Amino acid sequence: MAEIVRKSSVDEILNHWILAGSCILLMITGFAFLFHMEAVASVFGGFNTMKEVHNWGGVVFTLSMLYSMRHYLKDAFEYDADDAQWFKVAGGYLSHKVKVPPMGKYNPGQKLYYLAVVGAGIAIALSGFAIWFMKDNGTIMLLAHLVHNVAFCIFVLAVPVHIYLGTLANPGTFKLMVSGTLPLEEAKRRYPKWMKAAGKM
Amino acid sequence: MANETKNRKGMMVTPELCIGCRACQVACKSWNQLPGTKTTNNGTYQNPPDLNSTAFNLIRYNEVPGQENPVRWLFVSRRCMHCEEAGCMTICPTGAIYRTADGAVAVNRDKCIGCKLCTNACPFDVPRYDAENKMTKCHQCSDRTAAGMLPACVKTCPTGALKYGDRDEMIKTAKSDGFKTIYGEQDLSGLGTVYAFKDEPKLYGMKENPTIPGSVVFWHTYLKPLSFIGLGGVVAAAAIHYLAIGPHKEKEEV
Ligand code: HEM
Ligand code: SF4
Ligand code: SF4
Ligand code: SF4
Repeated sequence: MAEIVRKSSVDEILNHWILAGSCILLMITGFAFLFHMEAVASVFGGFNTMKEVHNWGGVVFTLSMLYSMRHYLKDAFEYDADDAQWFKVAGGYLSHKVKVPPMGKYNPGQKLYYLAVVGAGIAIALSGFAIWFMKDNGTIMLLAHLVHNVAFCIFVLAVPVHIYLGTLANPGTFKLMVSGTLPLEEAKRRYPKWMKAAGKM
Repeated sequence: MANETKNRKGMMVTPELCIGCRACQVACKSWNQLPGTKTTNNGTYQNPPDLNSTAFNLIRYNEVPGQENPVRWLFVSRRCMHCEEAGCMTICPTGAIYRTADGAVAVNRDKCIGCKLCTNACPFDVPRYDAENKMTKCHQCSDRTAAGMLPACVKTCPTGALKYGDRDEMIKTAKSDGFKTIYGEQDLSGLGTVYAFKDEPKLYGMKENPTIPGSVVFWHTYLKPLSFIGLGGVVAAAAIHYLAIGPHKEKEEV
């Protein structure tokens, strides 16, 4: 039987879905606030209860985001010459003919996506808590309102791209966030530098 | 943001006619069933010192140096301005703040979530919050005017310092009566509470060139559309990529 390697640990997978679920919940309720969507609010029992869902969803999201750092943060800060070359060929996404350099566990696009999530995540969390708890400071409220919405725009642009690349655009990737494993042969082809570092190649 | 309300109704405040009796403050409390608040004497007849959750209007006892007397007292009614470009309405995340058919700005208590964003977007620091954190302010007696009655404060005013009626007509009348400055005629695309002054608005303690905070305008004009168009754009780009270039294929990777 072919050897199987584990790419995502069980706690990583669990946390990923908590992070994704809370983020999407926050985006839906956030959009409903932004555009006064009565129909969406009524699904949550009205605007007052939707506010509770949004605020406490924010707490879950914040904790989950902080926990995710132990899985991705170190990798997200390391880039090499192959990563630079990866950008030159746009990761092979704009043409199937270009030669994509060998990758480690994550490609630089994924690493930058993670940094965007952490950066915008910290900004949206801090500003969210400020709107929640610092209602009597006008300057902070207005600043937090602006930061919250700038960060929201980053999420709105980045999250759908991530979902597309993790599903339709890269067949076979989705199961890495379900079972967390893949055959060794496939891992060698896709993540040669990671496999070399792990002594499997 | 601006969309001129047709036949907009409004409130005309003429401090020169006001005798400072504060019957308007009492009438507002009476109609809106608002309790009094305990205050302390702080050296002025102005009471309460500022708007609060049970005081939707008040007379400011504005003292300025006069020509004949050492003190000239200007009694200026302070209340919601019912702005045509209303910062409170722009920022409210639930749509709790709405415009009535007559052009007043009112709030739906049930929809208010007490986030207190509106007070920060209001150029006049008007919204206040009650014990349940619900926003409260003057609603231009929209419940009375809808039934053809005058606002309670106007009805009770013995001198005509407070008037309610067709906004344009009241402005025309005030001008022909010789009032040099109409405060609020143009500000924020036109306030619903306008003032007939003989001197500069500054003398009456009015805010000059009121504006909605820049961050709120920026958010409303750019960020809101960006979040919506951005989402649609990214989803469309993904669909086009899938159809035109297609998903990653294992075999082509060497
Ligand atoms: C992490 C902790 C977060 C907290 C504590 C938080 C809190 C808040 C609060 C208090 C509001 C104002 C309305 C209200 O009182 O409910 C708000 C609005 C909003 N939130 Fe969040 N939020 C968080 C995360 C997020 C996330 C992750 C998103 C989207 C990805 C988001 C998107 C929005 C949007 C679009 C609005 C409406 C626009 C506005 O009024 O500012 N929030 N949030
Ligand atoms: S004065 Fe303030 S509360 Fe009144 S309509 Fe204007 S922005 Fe809203
Ligand atoms: S406090 Fe109420 S009325 Fe004011 S912005 Fe928030 S939800 Fe709207
Ligand atoms: S119009 Fe009505 S709500 Fe507004 S100050 Fe007068 S009495 Fe009060």
